[in-house]
Amino acid sequence: MIVAEDLYKSFDGRPVLKGISAVFEPGTTHLIIGQSGAGKTVFLKCISGLYDVDQGQISYDGRVLQKLSKKERKKLRKEIGMLFQGGALFDSLNVEENIMFPLNMFSKMSTDEKRKRVDFCLDLVELSGNNKKATSELSGGMIKRVAIARAIVLNPKYLLCDEPNSGLDPRTAEVIDDLIHRITREFNITTIVNTHDMNSVLKIGDRINYLYDGKLEWTGDKDSILKTGNKRVNEFVFSMELTKRLKRDEN
Amino acid sequence: MIAELGKYTLFMYQVLKWPERWRVFWRQLMDEVDKLVLRSIPIVILISIFMGAVTSIQTAYNLTNPFIPMTMVGFTTATSSILEFSPTIISLILAGKVGSRIASEIGSMRINEQIDALEVMGINSSNFLLLPKLTAIVFFNPFIILISMFSAIVGGYIVAHLTGLYSPADYITGIRIDFKVFNIVYAMIKTVVFAFIISSVSGFMGYFVKGGATGLGKASTQAVVWSSIIIIIFNLILTQLLLS
Repeated sequence: MIVAEDLYKSFDGRPVLKGISAVFEPGTTHLIIGQSGAGKTVFLKCISGLYDVDQGQISYDGRVLQKLSKKERKKLRKEIGMLFQGGALFDSLNVEENIMFPLNMFSKMSTDEKRKRVDFCLDLVELSGNNKKATSELSGGMIKRVAIARAIVLNPKYLLCDEPNSGLDPRTAEVIDDLIHRITREFNITTIVNTHDMNSVLKIGDRINYLYDGKLEWTGDKDSILKTGNKRVNEFVFSMELTKRLKRDEN
Repeated sequence: MIAELGKYTLFMYQVLKWPERWRVFWRQLMDEVDKLVLRSIPIVILISIFMGAVTSIQTAYNLTNPFIPMTMVGFTTATSSILEFSPTIISLILAGKVGSRIASEIGSMRINEQIDALEVMGINSSNFLLLPKLTAIVFFNPFIILISMFSAIVGGYIVAHLTGLYSPADYITGIRIDFKVFNIVYAMIKTVVFAFIISSVSGFMGYFVKGGATGLGKASTQAVVWSSIIIIIFNLILTQLLLS
């Protein structure tokens, strides 16, 4: 479980996070939604420890990130898998080498064991047989799937995803959503997904946190988001033509 | 300026730590030796041959006094190549070739969030990315400079054969006049310091790149400009310290 308490973060005196508190439970897909500039990415980077918060604290199963020693922090980071917006695959390595990278750095597995683990992860993301492909040969959806495979190769307890669907067509985006949701449930991972894709919200949003101007504006799930009376959430949810029509039909 | 110097010092403190995995480090080092050192050899040889040839022609052209022997051509070419042209000029050229490559490679990793990915995994990214490059250049650039010295001297010898401005025998004799081993040591010391400057300054510029493609281009240019400026300043300091 990840607990964020009263997080504040500013850049050059400009506040981005203004006291966000949230709880993220294992086996549940938590979505962070909000308009561009609401602070979603900064929030996720604070959670991952890439940014230090100005105020507040983040705890991972009782371990407060800010109070951990360098060694403990390093150990914790091995339990976190992160999927970046562009995939962040190492372009000098092929698919297999990218997924094997965390194993090479942190595990004492033999080469055969590592290969088996890579094959298992590739199978999980439905990319079996693509081991030797260069990253330049991959499509946008494949890049995201390889990045997911790399993020889960060390059996993480926490999975953080920053805009996993950005730049993907609706069908591929759905595949990525399903994959994240399935992995979360199957391996009981605490998953946080940053998104502004309403399809993801309605499909995999076990818990949804809506950020507005650096504050947590609303919390709920995929069923309650369409019925909420919160004006700002409604503005966001029904800004899409599809959801607008859905509401019109319901009325 | 002072803030940047402090940032550079802290960055280098992280870079100069032991690698997390020696096996991975050796693999990276071999790769960097190939990319940054071995692939620079052809251009270094080409430039050095022409540098030596031009130095020889210019020296011969200026030797109008019959009391000065033509052996001075060989002496001047060898001495100037060993003391200055090979360690300094070639290092400046490598600052352009290798420095911009390091800055753009690390910078694009920053822009594409690959450095963030390393950090999230708990890897010291500055050490992981720069230490193999720095080690490759610092330990193997002296060999490039030795090749450059030899090539420059060969350049002068080729001129002797092709132009007849001076005889090859005079040239060979000139090379041997007043040869000091310390000159080579001095050149190697300079090379190692310059190699450290090229890799660390370029790595620093790339690591802290901001913005997209424009920022990357700016970082790449700044890497070459600052490396070159610092090299010429240290050239003066080292020459004063070691030769005066």
